[in-house]
Amino acid sequence: MPHLSFTGMLRRSLVHRRARSLSALVAMTVSAAIATALLTLYADLNTKLHKEFRSFGANVVITAPASKPLPPDALLRVHQAAGKDALIAEFGYAVATTDRGTSVVVAGTDFAAVRKLDSWWQVPSWPNPDDANAALPGQRAANFISDKTNLKLTFSGHPITLHSAGELRTGGDEDSRIYLPLDTFTQWTGVQPSVIEVQIPGGANTVEAAIARLRTALPEIQVQPVRELVEGESRIVDRTHALMYGAVLLIALTVAVSVLATLSASVLERRRDFALMKALGGSQTQLMALFLLEALALALAGVVLGFIIGSAAAWVISETNFHTATLPHPSVLPLVVLLNIVIAAIAALFPVRVLRGLQPAALLKGE
Amino acid sequence: MFFRLLMESFRRQRRRKMLAGIAILLGTTAVTAMLALATTIGDRIHKELAVYGANIVVTPKAANLDVKIGGVDIRPTIGNAYLHESDLKKLHTIFWANNITGISPQLPVQLDIKTPSGDDTTVSALGLWFHHALTNDPGSLVTGAPALHSWWKLTGAWPQEADSTAGGTDVVAGSSLASTLNLKTGDTLTANGRMLHVTGIVSTGDATDKQILLPLSAAQSIANLPDAVSRVEVSARTKPEDAFARKDPDTLSPQQHEIWYCRPYANSIAYQIREAVPGAQAEQVRRVEQSEGTVLQRISGLMWLVSLAALLAAGFAVSAAMATAVLERRTEIGLMRSLGASKGSIALLFYSETGLLAVLSGALGYLLGSGLAAWLGARIFSGDGSAAVLNPVLLPVIIALALIVAIAGSTPSIRAALAVNPSTILREDA
Repeated sequence: MPHLSFTGMLRRSLVHRRARSLSALVAMTVSAAIATALLTLYADLNTKLHKEFRSFGANVVITAPASKPLPPDALLRVHQAAGKDALIAEFGYAVATTDRGTSVVVAGTDFAAVRKLDSWWQVPSWPNPDDANAALPGQRAANFISDKTNLKLTFSGHPITLHSAGELRTGGDEDSRIYLPLDTFTQWTGVQPSVIEVQIPGGANTVEAAIARLRTALPEIQVQPVRELVEGESRIVDRTHALMYGAVLLIALTVAVSVLATLSASVLERRRDFALMKALGGSQTQLMALFLLEALALALAGVVLGFIIGSAAAWVISETNFHTATLPHPSVLPLVVLLNIVIAAIAALFPVRVLRGLQPAALLKGE
Repeated sequence: MFFRLLMESFRRQRRRKMLAGIAILLGTTAVTAMLALATTIGDRIHKELAVYGANIVVTPKAANLDVKIGGVDIRPTIGNAYLHESDLKKLHTIFWANNITGISPQLPVQLDIKTPSGDDTTVSALGLWFHHALTNDPGSLVTGAPALHSWWKLTGAWPQEADSTAGGTDVVAGSSLASTLNLKTGDTLTANGRMLHVTGIVSTGDATDKQILLPLSAAQSIANLPDAVSRVEVSARTKPEDAFARKDPDTLSPQQHEIWYCRPYANSIAYQIREAVPGAQAEQVRRVEQSEGTVLQRISGLMWLVSLAALLAAGFAVSAAMATAVLERRTEIGLMRSLGASKGSIALLFYSETGLLAVLSGALGYLLGSGLAAWLGARIFSGDGSAAVLNPVLLPVIIALALIVAIAGSTPSIRAALAVNPSTILREDA
């Protein structure tokens, strides 16, 4: 009689009842995949949401005091203090006169920076960066100019002709202004930039910290948060976060209990095996160990498959929804492994308790 | 006979039925809760997004160009065009009137004031609604500046519009103005022969901090501009903009125009406001409107995708549980077949059992899930008690899903069991 080793029994038991092992494996894979997908999404959620909120534009405004302009290296210092993820644009303002004699606010800025910072600006086309005299007149301002393609403006006796790239529509104060490149603006008016708008990605705490850094970098200059944006963003991100948390718990629980039901049913069904082994002299501990090991082997195989499938699912979801990829997070693995092992252990041990009270002889007889 | 078999199967095999039933119950609970949350998330996030303030501004079409830098009027315009405050009632009659959640008209004025310490100075002030009923109807929208600017922080009380008379009126001072003039709640200023009682100090974080806020009617009588309003902020519930929303309504065919008009886009609401209020220019505030659309889409998109994942997972779990449940009963199938039951009648019995279980557990799961969604929603998004707990549209959807999943899950096992020779099954078990 060949020696019947423990691992041999384990392997046989898994291979022999292939259909049952397969359905248990599917169940464990589903539970691991779902846990992986949700945890991966959850880990990335804040970054992703804060990124969406960037479309609201600047959340910090730096304003020079009325008496003196910003120091010449202000922009550089802001770049250093705000961090590399911040979006920054500089503005200079002056009041000029149009060809119809109306006063209009002209603003000098860097169009490339504004385009990124104020994504909601609606323009037919952004000004050509090579054209130093390209301008964006706001839709209201444009109504007060006779020649809408070559804008003739005067600032305290200095005339200038700007080429309109099309009318700017925002529904805000920008509609009543004319925007032109900052260098052209300073050469023409002699006015230095007075406002720097900064978009700092992140929640209220990150923004507060960045404001503190900006205040140290630029003493005597007013650094103010755009309060409604900072508060609103944190609140919405927190709530979505809480909602996802609830969803993750709910789904994980559902899957866990369903998988538990499936697995324990398939263990219960094997009461005849159990009885036979017991009749042949297997001890209670040995039998429990066998069931447990079998379930654990399936659970770990489920984790391997589930992690791959779940990471792929998370990637698809975030690609479809946020248009950015979510890479697999190995950091979620311990939690997924733990979840699967707990499910497997309960599934294996729960029926054993039920079976303990049964008499092998009675079972084998078919009662 | 068939019904007796069915009843007995439920009566005798309670444990097995319980396991399959619990799997379906939990699956439908999770799916119902997720779907119920996903269908209402749009409205909820929209409410949260309302903190960003107005998404439509209305200005007089014939107004002079603003000369404003950083929210401060550099050259206050004289002889400007104004809207009529009395025309704002008409906002209540437009097609999407019910979607308008807030209206805040304003009129800037200059005040020559005498402070309690006896200094004379000129300050800018803003006439506003604070708590104003739009029409005289009992159910009218009560709105004003504080409702549209939830980030304004007030210490004290907002002015009572009704208390405003020719002799005196309640006002609120901006925080930086209050600190420069050394004002506090309870002080009285004099302006153009009027007593201004400071009832509170407001911190807004923008240029309004340097202003005095007073009831619109008082501002109109000080500036001698009866019924005048220079700008109206409107907050409306809108549908995120798509390509169709950006079309110019006047170039659309009549049918298309009708469809465009009857969708709550910010553009169509602005169009209806222009129609209703004479001489008005209404524009969407793109900074708020465009960004809200994106954020709303992302969050609800996320919820839908997670619901889909929940659906798939619950489907798998329930199918697996059903498959096991049938697999366990191979002996029973063998016995029935050897006693002469046809394959069709056995399949019918099993499918009926499965169906009954799915309908019962599905309905229970629907109730539990709806309750869970309501509880979660109330926990996370405070202050929306008005939302209906049960969404009747979901019930048939959930039951149909439970039936499909349960039947699909048990089909392979039933087929497999029926395909095997009954004697093999019975001998295997002996």
